[in-house]
Amino acid sequence: MISEHPPRNLPPHRVHSPVVEAVETAIEISDVSKSFGHNRVLDGVSLKIRKGSIAVMLGPSGTGKSVLLRCIVGLLKPDRGQVKVFGEDVAALNPHRAADRAKLFAVRRRIGMLFQDGALFDDMTVGDNIAFPMRMHTKLSEAKIREAVADKLARVGLRGVEPKFPSELSGGMRKRVAFARAIALEPDIVLCDEPSSGLDPVMASTLDELILHLHQTLGMTFVVISHDTAEALKIADTMGLLYRGKLLTFGPKEEVMRTNHPGLRQFFARETAGPIKVV
Amino acid sequence: MAQESFALKIERLITLAIEFITFFRRSMAAMLFHVPPRKQFVHHAVDAGVGSVVLVILLIVFAGMGLSVQGYAAFIRFGGHDLLGTFVGIGGIRELYPVMSGIIVGARVGANLAASLANMQISEQVEALEVMGLDPMRYLVAPRMWAVTLMVPLLCGFAIVIGLGASWATAVYQLGLNSGTFMDQVAALTTWTDLAAGLLKGLVFGWLVAVIACFHGFRASKRDGAEGVGVATNRAIVHASVVCIVANMLLSALLYT
Repeated sequence: MISEHPPRNLPPHRVHSPVVEAVETAIEISDVSKSFGHNRVLDGVSLKIRKGSIAVMLGPSGTGKSVLLRCIVGLLKPDRGQVKVFGEDVAALNPHRAADRAKLFAVRRRIGMLFQDGALFDDMTVGDNIAFPMRMHTKLSEAKIREAVADKLARVGLRGVEPKFPSELSGGMRKRVAFARAIALEPDIVLCDEPSSGLDPVMASTLDELILHLHQTLGMTFVVISHDTAEALKIADTMGLLYRGKLLTFGPKEEVMRTNHPGLRQFFARETAGPIKVV
Repeated sequence: MAQESFALKIERLITLAIEFITFFRRSMAAMLFHVPPRKQFVHHAVDAGVGSVVLVILLIVFAGMGLSVQGYAAFIRFGGHDLLGTFVGIGGIRELYPVMSGIIVGARVGANLAASLANMQISEQVEALEVMGLDPMRYLVAPRMWAVTLMVPLLCGFAIVIGLGASWATAVYQLGLNSGTFMDQVAALTTWTDLAAGLLKGLVFGWLVAVIACFHGFRASKRDGAEGVGVATNRAIVHASVVCIVANMLLSALLYT
C-alpha cells in the first residue's frame, strides 16, 4: 500500500466538480504526440489540469516530462494534438508569424517557469534576475520592484543576496532564486521542472511548502515535474505517471492512489521489477 | 554508403540554409522595426567599440608600417617613391584598414557574441526569456547587431587615422621621405569618396560579422553541451573572416566602377 499524506483542507476552487471543470480548466492537452527523429517522446498524451490545482507528473528520466512542459509553454510544437492554455491552442500558433507570436507571448506572460538548472541570466545580479520580468511587464517604480524582489527572495529563504551574481551561488540557491523569478509576476500558472533536484531535503520541503502556500493564498496553478514521490504525495492534488511517452495514469491523487497502478506502485516502492524497465 | 553520406551532407546543408534564412528574416525584422533596448545596446556597443580599440591600434600600426615599407619597395624600382602617399592613402583607406577592422572585430567581437549566445542557449536562458513573453530576437540579437554594425565603421575610421599615421611615420622617419610630399600626395589624390567607400565597407563588414556570429551562437542547443559553445565560436570566427574577405572583393568591384 502506498503511504499517503493526510488530506489537506482544499480551497473551494480546488474541489473537483465536473460541472465547473469546463470553465475552470487551465490546461487541456489532447492527443499530443512529439517525436525527435525516430524517437517518439510523447505518444497520444491527453489530460486536463484544473485552474488552481497542483498537478504532479511523475516518471523515470527521459520519458518526455520536460518535453510535455515545453509543449505547454509553446517552446516545442507537438507533431499532433492540441495544447490549450486558458483556451488558447498554443500548439496551433506559429512563433514565426507576428500575429501568432503576439498571442503566444500573451499566454506566456501568464506563465512562470522554473527550469531544471535555473536558467538564470549570468550577466545579471540575483536582484536584476528577479526584477527583470517586473521591469519588462509592469510599470512599477524601482523602489516597489526592489521591495518585491526582497519579498520574493524572503519567500524562498534567501535574504541579502540581491547584489550577488548567479555564479557566486550554490546550485540549491540558484534553484531558489530561479523559483523566486518564476513567481515574480505572480503568474496564473507556474511550471516547475524538477524543483527539488539539487536541494537538500529540508530546503526541498520548504519549497514544497512555498508551492502550497502560493497556491492556497494566490490560487496559482502548478504543474510540477518530479521524480520525488514524497514531494508528489505532499503537494499534488492531481497526479500522473508518464512512461515512454505514454500517460499511464492521471487523475486526482486519491483516485490515482486507489487504482494502485503497477507502474505507480513500482515507482513509489523504488523496485526494479515491474512495468517500468530501466533499459 | 558514400551516397548516403553525401545525401546526409546535402540534407544538413539544406537544413542549415533554411535555419539561416529564418534567423535572418526574424533578426532583421527585430533590428529594423523595433528600437533596441538601450542598456543592452550601450553595453554591446562599448564592448565592441571601446573594447577593440587597443587591438585595432596594435594591429593597424604594424599594418600601416608594413604598407609603407612594401609600397616604397615597389615604387623605388622606377623612382616613383614620392607616390607612396597616394598608395597608402587609397590602398589603406579603401582596402586594408576596412578589411582588417572587419576581421579584427569578426575575431574578437564575433567570438564573444557567438560564445555568449551559445552559452545562453545551452543553459536555457534564451528559453527563459521566451517563457517570460519576450522575443529573444528583439532583446538579445537586435541590440548586438546594432552595436556591432555601428561600431565597425567607427573603428574603421579610427583604423584609417592610426594606419595613415603609422605609414607617415614610417615613410618620414624610416624611409627618409619628405613629410610635406607625403601629406600632399595623400591630400591631393585621396578623395572623400575613398573615405566613404572605406567606411561603407566597415558598415557592411560589421553587419555581416554580427549576423554570422549571432546566427552561430543562436543555433547552439542544450544537447550540444559545452562543446557547442566552442563550435559556435569557431564557426563564427572562420565564417565571418571568409565572408568579410569575399564581400570586400565584391564591394571593391562595385565601388570602383
